[in-house]
Amino acid sequence: MMFYWSLCVEYMKNYAKTRLTYRADFWIEVLSDILFQGLNLIFILIVFQHTPSLGGWSEAEVVFVYGFFMIPYGVFGTFFNLWSFSERYIVKGEMDRILTRPAYNLYQIVLENIDPPSIFGSIFGAVIMIISWSQLGLPFEALDALMLVVFTVGAVMIYAGLYTALTAISFYSDAPTGILPLMWNIQNYGRYPINIYNKTIRFLLTWLLPFAFVGVIPASYFLDRHEEGLTTLALFTPVVGIVVLVIGITIWNHGVKRYRGAGS
Amino acid sequence: MLAIDVQDLRKQFNVQKNREGLSGALKDLFKREYNQITAVKDISFQIPQGEICGYIGENGAGKSTTIKMLTGILVPTSGHIKVNGFVPFKEREKFVKGIGVVFGQRSQLWWDIGVIESFQLLRKVYRVPEDEFRKRLDELVERLQLGELLNRPVRKLSLGQRMRCELVASLLHNPSILFLDEPTIGLDIVVKTEIRDFLMKINREHGTTILLTTHDLQDIEALCSRVIMLDDGRIIYDGGLDELKSRWSKGREIHFQFAEHPQLDNLRVLTDGLGVSWSQDNELTATMFLPHAVNVSDALARVVGGGAGIRDIKIVETNTDEIVREIYQSGSASSEATKKLGNVVALDKEAHQGNE
Amino acid sequence: MNSAYLDLIRIRFLMMLAYRVNYYSGIIIYAINIGAYYFLWEAIFGEQTVMGGFTLAQMTTYVAVSWMARAFYFNNLDREIASEIRDGSVAIQFIRPYSYLLVKMMQGFGEGIFRLLLFMVPGLIIVCLLFPVTLPTEPGVWVLYFVMLVFSFLINSQINILTGLFAFFVENNEGMLRMKRVLVDLFSGVVVPISFFPGWLAVTMKWLPFQAITYLPSSVFTGRTAGDEALRVLGVQVIWFLVLIIPILLVWRQARYRLFVQGG
Repeated sequence: MMFYWSLCVEYMKNYAKTRLTYRADFWIEVLSDILFQGLNLIFILIVFQHTPSLGGWSEAEVVFVYGFFMIPYGVFGTFFNLWSFSERYIVKGEMDRILTRPAYNLYQIVLENIDPPSIFGSIFGAVIMIISWSQLGLPFEALDALMLVVFTVGAVMIYAGLYTALTAISFYSDAPTGILPLMWNIQNYGRYPINIYNKTIRFLLTWLLPFAFVGVIPASYFLDRHEEGLTTLALFTPVVGIVVLVIGITIWNHGVKRYRGAGS
Repeated sequence: MLAIDVQDLRKQFNVQKNREGLSGALKDLFKREYNQITAVKDISFQIPQGEICGYIGENGAGKSTTIKMLTGILVPTSGHIKVNGFVPFKEREKFVKGIGVVFGQRSQLWWDIGVIESFQLLRKVYRVPEDEFRKRLDELVERLQLGELLNRPVRKLSLGQRMRCELVASLLHNPSILFLDEPTIGLDIVVKTEIRDFLMKINREHGTTILLTTHDLQDIEALCSRVIMLDDGRIIYDGGLDELKSRWSKGREIHFQFAEHPQLDNLRVLTDGLGVSWSQDNELTATMFLPHAVNVSDALARVVGGGAGIRDIKIVETNTDEIVREIYQSGSASSEATKKLGNVVALDKEAHQGNE
Repeated sequence: MNSAYLDLIRIRFLMMLAYRVNYYSGIIIYAINIGAYYFLWEAIFGEQTVMGGFTLAQMTTYVAVSWMARAFYFNNLDREIASEIRDGSVAIQFIRPYSYLLVKMMQGFGEGIFRLLLFMVPGLIIVCLLFPVTLPTEPGVWVLYFVMLVFSFLINSQINILTGLFAFFVENNEGMLRMKRVLVDLFSGVVVPISFFPGWLAVTMKWLPFQAITYLPSSVFTGRTAGDEALRVLGVQVIWFLVLIIPILLVWRQARYRLFVQGG
């Protein structure tokens, strides 16, 4: 455990050293990242100029959900930057190098691709959440802080599990599937109150691709929205996270085994 | 003790057939069609500790696949491997601490930061104690004269400098076996020589076993006491380089430059009964082909004694390049080469058993 | 001479055809985005019948056709130009007997035709099956819309070329390219129709070229803009097309000066 922690620190140091040479790029990346995410916020703000509520949710509530959504997404983006995994590790064969090193392969790959600018998205999200928190006049208790951490960890595990599983497809098929951007677009559904969608999409987002658990469901715990058992469902976020992550890592390990030709 | 022990090693790949279009891609996700390819066909060999062994073969002969199995990247379809006392594909993380690997065409160093930073990271990955790491690094840096390069980012290094750093990176944890996949590819002759000298020294002083694949037979001649030659997944030769040469080269050529126009018929008469043949190159020069059985001094004595005025004599030994090319050309239908080499392999195995 | 440019269109078209598999998933992604906005707008309208001058039916059609138009006019000319400038291969273009900018434009057009035939048309059919989109019945509107679509493409490509050329003057314009993408999506009206913008912003938009990319043609398509007004709107597009030629030529002249006199 100590070993894996010290590796993480070492990789972070190397990232920092790389980036010191291109400092301006770092801030431009942060800014354009936030702007990219901010498009949805602008949409919300403009729309609420014309309507008092969105499916029964007020502007501050929707913005709150948006803010919460950004927090786990930023953490996930920092540690999971494997969008070009297939290209770099399978096609160019860097996977071989990873496998000649004495540390867990997925961990090495994750650390080699960390992207700290993404964490600023989390900070941005947290600020927005705090602002709407006070606008809504919600009480703040110590338990809320704890739950925020628990939900964030759970949501990050959901992202990590889903995208690890999808990235592992590269071990099975070298044809470009375009499935990652597909998923990325679906996850944006999780930003908005889930009751606005029809039954099929709601079911899909809750139980199949549980993106509702990375945004609206845990956020509704703080907002005290009891309809359709949202607050109760929120408590399951870490459980869903663990299940999805375990599935993701199992698929990954199976993929690595396959890559090494140990039979499928 | 054996560093590498391989018995009846086989590797088969299922190569996916990719179907066309999205529907094809979807179908591929669920039910795939395969072509089966056997890249390595039941090979066996042993490498004792401290040996430098060259592993050669044409592209696609199965070299890389073997190396990947030996380094624990791939799991064999059947057969036994033992490297450093480990079965590489089991206990992978423990096993790889004892080996070093350099893939000539891929870098293991960070592109944008100083070389030393990459080394520090590798130290952590391989859990080398700081003082041991220092000692080792100092030694390697001095050997390869990397001093002032250590703080430069990799992208600013020349290919030769980079390759020297790659070697250091693979040796930091003091592995007892070093695998080199095309270590000299694309390098100029000076750097090649430097690297060869370095590998020789490492081998001599630390007893590091080295297995290298290469297309440059000069590497083999400079480094290897032993060559394993692969063709179409099978070992077609395993033994000393000298053996390979003497058994495979057609012999030698002696180029004569005469003072006056030589008469081939006269020359043939002079060397009658030796089993040599002649050809005329131009006005004043002629070439004599000698099989290995014929003694050079005997042949020369006949010609010189024949009274022809000789200006110059050049003896040309068939070099390894030509031999290997010859083997591959004839061996493209590999059966012929195997047949030719069959007895060589048999003889050599005996020689090896004698040595051990 | 002209046939060479036509050939460029053809070659790019064939090149895109070779990668067509990637675009199948693209169609699904666009359908997902359209779906997300469809449900959002439905919730936003709630009880209201007209909002920002749109009925819900018009809004659905607007969203569908705007995204599909984006599928057509979108291209990566900015990235291509920037990377050709950064790796220096743009210098080779100067020794060739053609105009670099025109070549880029033609390549973009080849890509556009590909996207129109294999992306926009099948995409629109799928979207019409999934969502209640109402297509115009007058053939005149269709003709006018397609003419406007060509100008959408031209204006968007001009903006792309302009941002791409900035790579001559700054070392890394990756962040700028990303920001441009966000701004074009927002200001062109793909995300929210411009009539929803707060007053001051809507007025500002009238004086910027972005509305000519999506908002104006899509308004014609949904029937909100008709008759003489529709022709006037086409005129706005033409004017912007002509006006944008000026900064491109200026930047291009400056860029060539830099390349030749200062050696890049």
